[in-house]
Amino acid sequence: MTIIVSRKETFWDKIYLPALAIGLKVTIKQFYRTLFRGESTTIQYPEQKRIYSQRFRGEHFISVDANKTENCTSCYLCQTVCPAECITIIAEERPAEENPYGVRKEKRPARFDIDALRCCFCGFCEEACPKDAIKLSRNYEMAKLTREDTIYDLDHLKREVKGRG
Amino acid sequence: MTKPKITFDGQTFEFEPGDTIMRAAERAAIDQGIPRFCYHPGLPVAGTCRMCTVEVEKAPKLMTACSTPASDGMVIHTQSERVRKSRAGVMEFLLLNHPLDCPVCDQAGECSLQDYNYEYGPSTSRFQEDKRVWVEASTKKLSDRLTLNMNRCIHCERCVRFTEDVTKTHELLMENRGWKKELMTADDLGVFNEYQGNIADICPVGAITFNDFRFKKRVWFLKPKPSLCDGCARGCSIFADEEKNVVQRYRARRNDQVNGHWICDAGRVSYHTYSDPQRVVQPLLRGLAQSAPQATTWETLITWLLREMNQAKRVLLLIGTDASSEEAANLMQILPSLTRGELVIRSWNGTGEGVQSSGDDAPVDKILRRRDQTPNTRGIEQLGLHPLAARDGDFDVALFFRSGRATLPAQKLAAFEIAWGVFNQSESARFAAVLPGLSTLEKAGSYTNCEGLVQTFEAAVKSHGHAASVKKILDGMRTMMKAHPETAEREVARDFV
Repeated sequence: MTIIVSRKETFWDKIYLPALAIGLKVTIKQFYRTLFRGESTTIQYPEQKRIYSQRFRGEHFISVDANKTENCTSCYLCQTVCPAECITIIAEERPAEENPYGVRKEKRPARFDIDALRCCFCGFCEEACPKDAIKLSRNYEMAKLTREDTIYDLDHLKREVKGRG
Repeated sequence: MTKPKITFDGQTFEFEPGDTIMRAAERAAIDQGIPRFCYHPGLPVAGTCRMCTVEVEKAPKLMTACSTPASDGMVIHTQSERVRKSRAGVMEFLLLNHPLDCPVCDQAGECSLQDYNYEYGPSTSRFQEDKRVWVEASTKKLSDRLTLNMNRCIHCERCVRFTEDVTKTHELLMENRGWKKELMTADDLGVFNEYQGNIADICPVGAITFNDFRFKKRVWFLKPKPSLCDGCARGCSIFADEEKNVVQRYRARRNDQVNGHWICDAGRVSYHTYSDPQRVVQPLLRGLAQSAPQATTWETLITWLLREMNQAKRVLLLIGTDASSEEAANLMQILPSLTRGELVIRSWNGTGEGVQSSGDDAPVDKILRRRDQTPNTRGIEQLGLHPLAARDGDFDVALFFRSGRATLPAQKLAAFEIAWGVFNQSESARFAAVLPGLSTLEKAGSYTNCEGLVQTFEAAVKSHGHAASVKKILDGMRTMMKAHPETAEREVARDFV
């Protein structure tokens, strides 16, 4: 079904030029501001970056402790809560010799994959995480050349992120 | 004679004489139930946890429901203020030293402590001191199948009573008292009985875990599907817990007629046979020059099979005693119409050091296990089949049907041996063709167990790969026979001669 809405055009609408002048006024105003007063609306993106909120949710990372051991204990809560079903975890027992933490970290993720193309960046995973292991950094530059690169594995997630990036 | 009556929270129910309050409540299936840690219907009553206390009118103190006999006219309050306060107190004491490691603990999701704390317990802790920590016993191997984490133990002693009263092997005991009470194995042998998985099942917390399932899945992802264990002739009732069409573990399902509350460890891990990556789930056919059968399509395989069966003078159909009665009956009914030669039908078992009929079967111990490790020997016998005898021979084509448990016959059965059912890659080499079939988990049917009890079961998961049911394959064969046998024959001749 199509709804046709007709608008009655006046004489001034029909000759078109006054409307053009009104539009051009905005353009000229912006042109003047940018060129002479330095009030630009756009930025020179890769060199210059916008400041986002401290709470911005960008690329994921897994926090590590002083020994570079991930804080994740594969409790699967993030996988359970994820509405996009983009997290896949396979758990295993941490070998006793690599485990100075005892029971606290006896379980570890053998694999921890996040499919960033499916992720909707809702942040439920970091909210659910009881160990504050998975977090979303403030990095929004996530373009990759292949689809394979967009599936973040544990090595990628354990990269160093200072603060929230 | 009228039955005695008992009143729970204002509602009156009948009970059997001799019941405890707990049994009467279970019989009445009262709404919220009575919480319990140490009580288990399959074990003797201990009355150690004090979680099941209820208020009995005219009794001065709260009574434990698990150990107090019910009597006629008793009036019980299971949710009164006093009772709830007592339970909250019990929960607080239990949680004093219980670690807050639910994220790591495998029991999370089916943990009594979690459930009851949600319902009765305090949500905060007043405990300021350091928690008691077992360092040595935090990850201790009780055997190669069980792992103990003593920190999580709440001293209900279900495991101790299990080894005392069910298996009667007495491997586990509690050492010391009170705060220092620790679960120990009686000697260096560790736990050695064949029913260890049940100990992990009945542990109300995550103190004892079964290594085969340890850290594999979180239980809230699993869907329990009622099924039958096909590990031996007992046919224990189980829950096959599956996620995304993959069975992750077996658990015992209560069935007082067959297995009570327990299943053996061999049965508990027997699901691995069916999720084996080496399992053949693609039709296989061996060409003339090939040493092992290669993947093909159902059409090619069936036309080839029909031609071979048509030309053969003597055909052997060997039905493994792990086939369901329905499958065996289907094969016996329809296969004779697909061959012009003589069709000889025999059964085959071969498990448990040469068991062939139900006469060879015997109990292995006093609990559940049987020598015969196929589920349906009695059922196949009831269909009138006899085991393959030495004098049976001289066959052109032999079809061996099984669903994963029966052994392969050692002798060569015929010039063309064809496997039908659940086989793995290494077994397929001797066969000219393999028709992938369904395992117990993927089909519905019925088994007759060692005591002659007929039990039906439903499919727990969908079939894997190209595996198909017997009925589907037989239907396909008959359609193909009627359609155009001549062209089908030519196709096969071009591909495989």
